[in-house]
Amino acid sequence: MIESRRAPVWVPAVAGLSLLLVWEVVVRSRGIPSFILPAPSLIVKTLWDNLDSLLAAWLFTIKITFGALLLALLGGVLLACAFALSRTLELALFPFAIALQVTPIVAIAPLILIYVDSTTASLLICAFIVAFFPILSNTLIGLRSADPNLHDLLTLYGANRWQRLRWLLIPSALPYLIAGLKISGGLALIGAVVAEFAAGAAGRETGLASRILEASFRTEIPKMYAALTLVVLTGVAIYWVTKILARTLLGRWHPSEQG
Amino acid sequence: MRAPLRRQFARALRRSTTLLLTCLLLAHAAEPDRVVFATNWRAQAAHGGFYQALVDGTYARYGLDVTIRQGGPQVNNRPLLPAGRIDFLMTGNLLHSFDNLKNGVPTQIVAAIFQKDPQALIAHPGVGYERFERLKDAPVVLVAKDGQFTWWQWLKATQGFRDEQLRPYNFNLGPFLANPLAVQQGYSIAEPIYVRQQGGFEPVVHLLADHGFDTYSTLIETRVELIRARPELVQRFVDASILGWYSYLYGDRRAADAMMLRDNPEITVAEIDASVALMKHYGIVDSGQALEAGIGAVDPERIRHFYESMVTAGLYRAGEIDPAAVAAPQFVNKGVGLDLKRRLLARP
Amino acid sequence: MSAAIELTAVDKRFDKGVAAVRGFSTTIAPGQFVALLGPSGCGKSTLLRLIAGLERPSAGSVQIGGEQAAQRVAAMSFVFQEPTLMPWANVLDNVALPLRIAGASRKGARAAALQALAAVALADRARAYPAELSGGMKMRCSIARALVTRPSVLLLDEPFAALDEITRHRLNDDLLGQWSVQAPTAVFVTHSIFEAVYLSQRVLVMGGRPGRLIADLPVSFDTPRAPALRLEASFLQQCQLVSDALERAKAAELLT
Repeated sequence: MIESRRAPVWVPAVAGLSLLLVWEVVVRSRGIPSFILPAPSLIVKTLWDNLDSLLAAWLFTIKITFGALLLALLGGVLLACAFALSRTLELALFPFAIALQVTPIVAIAPLILIYVDSTTASLLICAFIVAFFPILSNTLIGLRSADPNLHDLLTLYGANRWQRLRWLLIPSALPYLIAGLKISGGLALIGAVVAEFAAGAAGRETGLASRILEASFRTEIPKMYAALTLVVLTGVAIYWVTKILARTLLGRWHPSEQG
Repeated sequence: MRAPLRRQFARALRRSTTLLLTCLLLAHAAEPDRVVFATNWRAQAAHGGFYQALVDGTYARYGLDVTIRQGGPQVNNRPLLPAGRIDFLMTGNLLHSFDNLKNGVPTQIVAAIFQKDPQALIAHPGVGYERFERLKDAPVVLVAKDGQFTWWQWLKATQGFRDEQLRPYNFNLGPFLANPLAVQQGYSIAEPIYVRQQGGFEPVVHLLADHGFDTYSTLIETRVELIRARPELVQRFVDASILGWYSYLYGDRRAADAMMLRDNPEITVAEIDASVALMKHYGIVDSGQALEAGIGAVDPERIRHFYESMVTAGLYRAGEIDPAAVAAPQFVNKGVGLDLKRRLLARP
Repeated sequence: MSAAIELTAVDKRFDKGVAAVRGFSTTIAPGQFVALLGPSGCGKSTLLRLIAGLERPSAGSVQIGGEQAAQRVAAMSFVFQEPTLMPWANVLDNVALPLRIAGASRKGARAAALQALAAVALADRARAYPAELSGGMKMRCSIARALVTRPSVLLLDEPFAALDEITRHRLNDDLLGQWSVQAPTAVFVTHSIFEAVYLSQRVLVMGGRPGRLIADLPVSFDTPRAPALRLEASFLQQCQLVSDALERAKAAELLT
């Protein structure tokens, strides 16, 4: 059973490389100009030539993404615990949480930029708004999904609210939290990039979205692809990080990580 | 006395050939060429001439079925031209052409409607920004994405501005109006009108063109491949557009304004009127070389000179591109429309 | 120290007006092992939860050792039909849980838990996770957890119903062995006559909807019970008596 879990790691790698190969061959054989569809080899070369500015931008985007994800994790979990302990609080605040979820970032990013002076802070806020709801919602469901018999046992043991939270609610919620985190990871990245597009970060504090925009305005199509490649790589990295986290925390006991 | 038979026959042949050609031309004209022209903003007075040519039938008379496709704050029509999705593109300054050449994108300029670039920096009055040199000390300069990658780089290189001042401008006057020390970009024929409306004051306007940013603007750009394959199509579009501009500036432009209002409901007739007045006041369209060579005039020497000033500013390397390849000036400088202008001005 | 259980005219009605228990009265002496037997749906589990203090009676009173049941937490243990182990913790931490909640240190709680596991022969699986155990092992773990706090009252709700017969017999003997060490007052809910007679000193037969006490039959075999008892004639006779009482219970259900 362990063997079958490891074997297919090379499958996606081979599939990806085959796609790149086909792409390269098609572009070359058809003589497609680089400003319509650049070949992967040109994209790699452009990436190499512009490594300095692209790496700096990449670092900034990663900073925003993980910063927002961390904030969403803290905020989402804390708020979910608060809601689980107090129905009144939940009824009062949940509508705001929903409002945050459905508001399109593209529309409010420029607004946030007006009220908040620092561009970095505005981008963090936007990415946080996008990433926050799945964690809140999933964690809350998880907190409420604890085994009722375990609830009864804790009552018999005389556990107070905090002990219940620590020993039963939070561990029960962990698989749901991880599921929410898997969703929010990707969303934080999207939020960071989209917010920068919509708000138009400027000057020093700029991430990959600004590089993409700049390349688009200066008709440097291969550079757009190079920056997009970095965005995609970041998304894949986030996926793997959450996958490893899930395996570490849930691997020994949760059905989702068995077999 | 009767003409000799030979001459009669020659005349008949001439007449029938002319008739045949006319029929062919009419048959050809019966199917106008479909053309898509993309602008770089939502419909405004700065696009007036093109809309005029559309509504008063000039494009139609030149055998063109033109669709005008608006740009906008989040829209970038530029990649559509080399991709073949549009046929003609309005660009804002020559830097776009330099970048295209640098990246091997096969496009060229065929006309320059604005002899002067209306791009400006605007500021609050009464805080010392009346002198252009003071602007570089402003704590906040609001520049939109497009400008950040073009003339802002020139401002940093030659006029002493710094990235620390830069804030993104999202075409919302709020941050500028709220902060008396803020400076922002503006189209000299548009933003001052809105500032007067929303802020109740007349802003200080500094045209970039007055400080060395000597580019053409509202250029008509098209694919090199189209120039080579259908030069007469390009010529017809340029000529009709020029005539449209004369008609818009000096004739009855109400129909064109109405169409722009339909395309962009956010502007008003008053704003359009004020903008046209500013266009004439600043000599944006019909000035300099255009007075004699016609609207749209292109001087390759001026392009070369502008390129060299950009090289000096450090935006490009010397010899990186050949400025002579930027424009195909054969479609303008022919005095097209000058007689129309005379006629329109002669009317009481 | 085991406690007496006293039920006086206990009624239980649920919100929708459904009555589960009606007029149940009985006294269980400290240290007595009592089986609660009845057909499905007669309110056995509800009665057990009333004794545990997890539900409050609509009328009447439930007293443990002289105090109201609902105030007597932490001196009672409950074994559910499902093992009800925390899947994210290993066996040792599962058994240590009630001690930790009562305030014991991690070290002290684990030491006591290890002893309890040794008593049910699970000490070698202390670091295993519940997902890695068989059903019988999980149930033994659950029993170890119930006994680690040295409760005065032990309540079991059909704990072996989901297991196969061989395992069930073995666990019956294990349970009797464990119980005899501390001898808390025990109430064992079951729908198996054989199990009720084998394990207990007294069988309370419950029946009807809402559930009432139909019969109260003593079981006078010696303790400790030996597996061979199941084959003796006296055992089967006792079972027959209980079976008859159960038939009456079912008939009573038809009348109500």
